Amino acid sequence: MPFPNVRLSKRPLHFIYLCDCSGSMAAQGKMQALNQAIRQSLPGMAEVARENPEARVLVRALRFADRADWHLQEPTPVQELQWRDLEAGGITAMGEALELLAGVLQSPPMEERALPPVLVLISDGQPTDDFETGLATLMRQPWAQKAVRLAIALGHDADLEVLQQFIGPEPPGGGRSPRRPLQASNATSLAQYIQWASTAVVGAASMPASRVQAVAEGNANIPLPDLPPTLLDPTDDVGPLVW
Amino acid sequence: MSAVWLAPRACSVIGAAHRRQGKPCQDASLAKELSGPGGERLQLLAVADGHGSSRSWLSQRGSALACQAAEAAVAEAVAGCPLADSRAWGELLAGGLAASVHSRWREAIAADWAQQHPHRAMPLEPVTYGCTLGLVLLAPHWWGCTGLGDWDLVAVDRDGGARLLSEEPSLGPHNGGEATASLCLPQGEALWAPRAQLQPLAGQPQLRALVLSTDGVRKSCASDADFLALCGQVIDLQSPQELADGLEQITRQGSGDDVSMAVGLRPRPPARRWPWGARLALALGGAGALAGAAALVLSGRGLRPAPAPVDPVLVQQQALCANPSTIRANLTPRRAQLQQLRRDPAAAAGLLANPRRDPLGALLARSQRGDLQPCSALEQQLARLWRETGGKMPAALARPDERPPAGGRPAAPGSR
Repeated sequence: MPFPNVRLSKRPLHFIYLCDCSGSMAAQGKMQALNQAIRQSLPGMAEVARENPEARVLVRALRFADRADWHLQEPTPVQELQWRDLEAGGITAMGEALELLAGVLQSPPMEERALPPVLVLISDGQPTDDFETGLATLMRQPWAQKAVRLAIALGHDADLEVLQQFIGPEPPGGGRSPRRPLQASNATSLAQYIQWASTAVVGAASMPASRVQAVAEGNANIPLPDLPPTLLDPTDDVGPLVW
Repeated sequence: MSAVWLAPRACSVIGAAHRRQGKPCQDASLAKELSGPGGERLQLLAVADGHGSSRSWLSQRGSALACQAAEAAVAEAVAGCPLADSRAWGELLAGGLAASVHSRWREAIAADWAQQHPHRAMPLEPVTYGCTLGLVLLAPHWWGCTGLGDWDLVAVDRDGGARLLSEEPSLGPHNGGEATASLCLPQGEALWAPRAQLQPLAGQPQLRALVLSTDGVRKSCASDADFLALCGQVIDLQSPQELADGLEQITRQGSGDDVSMAVGLRPRPPARRWPWGARLALALGGAGALAGAAALVLSGRGLRPAPAPVDPVLVQQQALCANPSTIRANLTPRRAQLQQLRRDPAAAAGLLANPRRDPLGALLARSQRGDLQPCSALEQQLARLWRETGGKMPAALARPDERPPAGGRPAAPGSR
């Protein structure tokens, strides 16, 4: 009998967008910018997946407005992904979105051997439903606890407090950190954050080094790469705030 | 006297991802035979897995030094403690070896740091060399294991069934994902005791082999059933090259991580010694032999009747019930299988059709059908798992107060 004669498997890496599609996203071109940022990030994400063949990068997207539903329900290999535009309209059922997300983070359908998933919550406003219950439901799932949870706040009306609750405890000290909501004030910085999440973070999550138990690394399951420089950096030229 | 354990073997192979990235193999492994003062033989298996993160940039040195420290510590223990004193060895596995290995490892990494990096003004941080370490000791009358981190230990029985004996306990919500215990932790010594066990061989006639592996092997398998099957296959390999080639394939088609396996193997039992009459009958050959054998059977001194086929599920059940502390570790990874059994009761048929392939899976299928008479420890853990995976238990494993009344529906919540 040949050895090994069992099923071997690449470890799946689930990357899931949670996109706010409330009516306010239609203003000032935010929805258009989000669609463009995700679409433009796909070639880079596919390249990172190609460089890390031991991980199967699978993308999904969930939209929330009056209700939450799957925009891209099937875990789709990034190389095969054709982004279909999201449309804005309605209120902000973020809590329902988190409950919907919790359903797919159960085992099964989550695979025993999956890598910690990457969850990216993008919002420009405040939840209009029971966010706390949704978050509690989500965080009861071990895969949600293990996940890399990122949040991008669009403009000044985004509720940074709820986005921080989604990410987890705020890191000590000030300054920018992937453990805080990433504040995108225009289309350029949004594109930079989406690109960072879909390439640098996916790369780090694809082949994670073992993390030493209880050695503080920002309480992170995956050591996160540095954030990209943005127009908000003091060292850069500060452009006009669009959103 | 024939050997109780065959020559051990161990192999580490660089991960496909590390090879592509130009990184070194951060795993190390060892299989050694050590001698006590009275000529007693003890075999040592060790696997160590360097963390490999940017903070642990010398972890390939850390894992190699961990295996060396383990060998020195066990050799010292063999010199000072008779292998027949299993109680003393149990204490060594639970604590004494931990202290000795940690002390030696810390000294070794300090010396390595000073030798290789004398220009570095910054003090040594142990996490730079951080790694896991798993040890298995094979003595004439017992085997034991200890260590810390995300290594796995599997027993393979003579009927081909495999079961998980030790895995890293859950690290809790804030240490999920890829987190593991490590030799570099200040409290590391205290983490050995929960992984330590010593088992007498006298109670385990079915035990064929022990397979120790780093986490890259298990994470390369599609499921735990595949991992256990893999451990059952590795013991039949004839050459070290076959093991190295197999590990190469495992990392290439699996996790991409470094992979290590160490195997301790017991010899096959000697062929049944035939009674003198039967041997004579065989020597006669042909019809004379048949006549002779028939005469022996008739006289009641001939060959015993062939034993009834061994039921792999029963063997699995007995193995679990003989070591109740291992039941939880074996059952918990089977949550997904239980959920599949709940969704698709027909899945049980596949498991029951070939119980040798996955005896534990077949045991779960039988528990679903109520066709099992487990010991109380196994019954409790099965009931827990069924509850956790679906909320509704098969009637056979339900607590008396949860069983539906005969011919009726379960009592409504709050009606008890």
